[in-house]
Amino acid sequence: MAAGGSEVILSIRDVSKSFPGVKALDRVSIDVRRGTVHGIVGENGAGKSTLMKILSGVYQKDSGTIEFDGEHVEHTTPHQSMQSGLAIIYQELNLVNTMSVGENVFLGRFKEMKGMRGTHARARELLDSIGCKVPTTRLVSELSVSEKQMVEICKALSFQSKLIIMDEPSSSLTGEEMAELVKIIRQLKEKGISIIYISHKLDEIFQFCDIVSVMRDGRVVDTKPVAEFTRNELISKMVGRTIENEYPPRPHNVGQVVMEVRSIQTHKLHDISFKLHEGEILGLVGLVGAGRTEIVRAIYGADKARGHEVLLGGKPAAIRSPRHAKDFGIGLIPEDRKLQGLILPFSVESNISMGSIRKFSRLGFIRRSLEKGIGARQVQALAIKTPSTRVAVNNLSGGNQQKVIVGRWLEISPRIFIMDEPTRGIDVGAKYEIYLLMKRIVEAGGSIILISSELPEVLHMANRVLTIFEGRITGEFQPETTPVDEIMKAALGLEGGAA
Amino acid sequence: MAEVAIHAGRNPVARAAQAFFRDYLVLVMITLLVAITAIVEPKFLNPRNLVNIMRQFGPLMMVSLGMTFVIIGGFIDLSVAGIINLVAVVTISLIGPLGQVPALLAGMLIGSACGALNAAAILTSGALTQAEALFLTFGMSTVFSALALLYSGGMTMHFWDIKSSKAMFETIGAGTVGPVSVSFVIFLVVLLLLWVFQTKTTEGRAISLTGGNKTAARLSGVRILRSIFVIYVVCGLMTAVGAIVLFSRITTAAPVIGAGYETNAILSVVVGGTTLKGGKGSVLRTVMGVLLVILMSNCLDLLGVSTYLQVVTKGAILVLAIWLDNRKQV
Repeated sequence: MAAGGSEVILSIRDVSKSFPGVKALDRVSIDVRRGTVHGIVGENGAGKSTLMKILSGVYQKDSGTIEFDGEHVEHTTPHQSMQSGLAIIYQELNLVNTMSVGENVFLGRFKEMKGMRGTHARARELLDSIGCKVPTTRLVSELSVSEKQMVEICKALSFQSKLIIMDEPSSSLTGEEMAELVKIIRQLKEKGISIIYISHKLDEIFQFCDIVSVMRDGRVVDTKPVAEFTRNELISKMVGRTIENEYPPRPHNVGQVVMEVRSIQTHKLHDISFKLHEGEILGLVGLVGAGRTEIVRAIYGADKARGHEVLLGGKPAAIRSPRHAKDFGIGLIPEDRKLQGLILPFSVESNISMGSIRKFSRLGFIRRSLEKGIGARQVQALAIKTPSTRVAVNNLSGGNQQKVIVGRWLEISPRIFIMDEPTRGIDVGAKYEIYLLMKRIVEAGGSIILISSELPEVLHMANRVLTIFEGRITGEFQPETTPVDEIMKAALGLEGGAA
Repeated sequence: MAEVAIHAGRNPVARAAQAFFRDYLVLVMITLLVAITAIVEPKFLNPRNLVNIMRQFGPLMMVSLGMTFVIIGGFIDLSVAGIINLVAVVTISLIGPLGQVPALLAGMLIGSACGALNAAAILTSGALTQAEALFLTFGMSTVFSALALLYSGGMTMHFWDIKSSKAMFETIGAGTVGPVSVSFVIFLVVLLLLWVFQTKTTEGRAISLTGGNKTAARLSGVRILRSIFVIYVVCGLMTAVGAIVLFSRITTAAPVIGAGYETNAILSVVVGGTTLKGGKGSVLRTVMGVLLVILMSNCLDLLGVSTYLQVVTKGAILVLAIWLDNRKQV
């Protein structure tokens, strides 16, 4: 194991960052040494990307110090950090598709390169230095993802970068492309360039990282040479957290099958089939982008899917639009509360009543008195904190906004409730209230499909968990009896998914 | 948004005053405009001028009321000029061969069909944003106008060329019921119907929800595609009514008489206080908006302001209205 030089190139000390209602980073300290590959692992929302954005200057830290290459970094901008030798390669690469490879490498610096000829000549040298054969005149739009990544790396090298941060670089690479990237990373390391490698994929961490830091809930829980970690230790450090009374007791009301889904196929989903029982909370677990939202949107008729069948109470149900889904007694709390769930400038009342217009209308005419009753009833039943039902819903807190959406659906008494990230961005108290609501729904005989990026939430609330990885169901677990690591492994697409 | 809150302060009177100005700015402007013009040019309050104003606002009012629904639904319709051209020349030409009532119905049918065509183009292409609808309906406008030119051969058609009875259209154009014009009575009836449609029916509600947030509305089971279809058909129908009122008043129909109606209608709707962002607005606001726009051109005419300068004024007011609308959001 090559530990590289002992000189520290980047020193992060006690860096904290808060957003309204969330402590994203809590006294994070990491030292990156020259010529090492430093892995950072953690669940979604552990604080990895916040940390990267602070390093690159997108966010400003609240407190703590950052020292890069012997100099204090205070208020930096993305451009300044690039100039000082700290480059970040984002997951969604930052290239101009309609320009050539050479132009992208030296974007905005053509003058320094003495025109286009110099630009292309210099880009050629850089590409050769990492063993990339792509012509510098080719348009970026014609490159494969891995070739684009190499262009990004060359761009970083062109700034004489001393540290390159790679944010989940492998998420869209094939096996061969990945091998290529590993080769380049090793070359960069030999040149004395340090690399921070952020990834979910533990294989990669063990393959070529020297040191690993594990992040969880905005803290660094451990930093050790990778050889001193076992795989299971790493996983349990990523997920294991101590929780007291964050969740109500798990409801146990599972009954007969209410819905059966047979072989959903889209370009992202492969043969998704499962059953949902009455009174059950079924958790869908997986990484962001694994296809969890796509599954429920296909069932709900929000996206087009081919040839799948949904059986409700044993009978086939042709759900071709959200309206059909509603008529069949399915409600959806969408992923993005503000963009997909609410009409922000509209009143609390009309946001609640919009799901049940039929209930308060007759012969196509609205009956206001009934509508008012619906709004008032749900505000009271769910204890929605609002000065009145006429207030615009964007004045409410996140938790109360979410309750408005829940209330909208409760009004039509759905049999099946799909909740996609129901507690995202709301505070702990409001989360608990949402959990209690879920419990009430299943106790009344409803069923819930719960999607959440917060694994503990699913593990504490769900009766059954399906793990989704790259559009496939990789396992089915009883969270009460299954060790967390096993579920995590299946969700990360590793072995051990007992399907 | 912080700014607004600071300006409003803690003082409830100041806040109420601010809310009033924000919501009824157009009323304040109408009052000011009338007052100033009446002082500078007393002819303005002359009964004959007032009747003239009443007649003038008919066509623009009808078109703007239809446009209100499109804008509340979160879309826009630039094709109204083309629809006016087409409906006017076709309807006037049918009075002779078909008779008055069939011609009237045919005109309204053509307008609705044009609206349906707009909606079909938008829905089948999936161009479900306001910007895409803007270009699409702009294209449709040229199509409708070209059809009008083809149909009429570029000729202007006159009432006096029609040999059979055209009494009904003459009544629409120049008749009076007691002291008010027939077109004003038509306006009142239409306004009542549209107001009920907008505020009391489920479809009216669905249109607002669609305009407020298409995605959220769809995921809540609102039939947004139907709403989009309805708003364009209503707009097409109202534009046809506007076209009929227009050629009845001026007793001629040229294949270009609709020019400028799209901007004036959008101007009236926005000045009235219906937001271009969709979701919120009302036909009553549009009535005030049309009143302001018509009064303004009347006043500027009386004050002897050149036509070119009037166009500049209108443009400036549209920009101002959109600017104010964006400031008060959130």
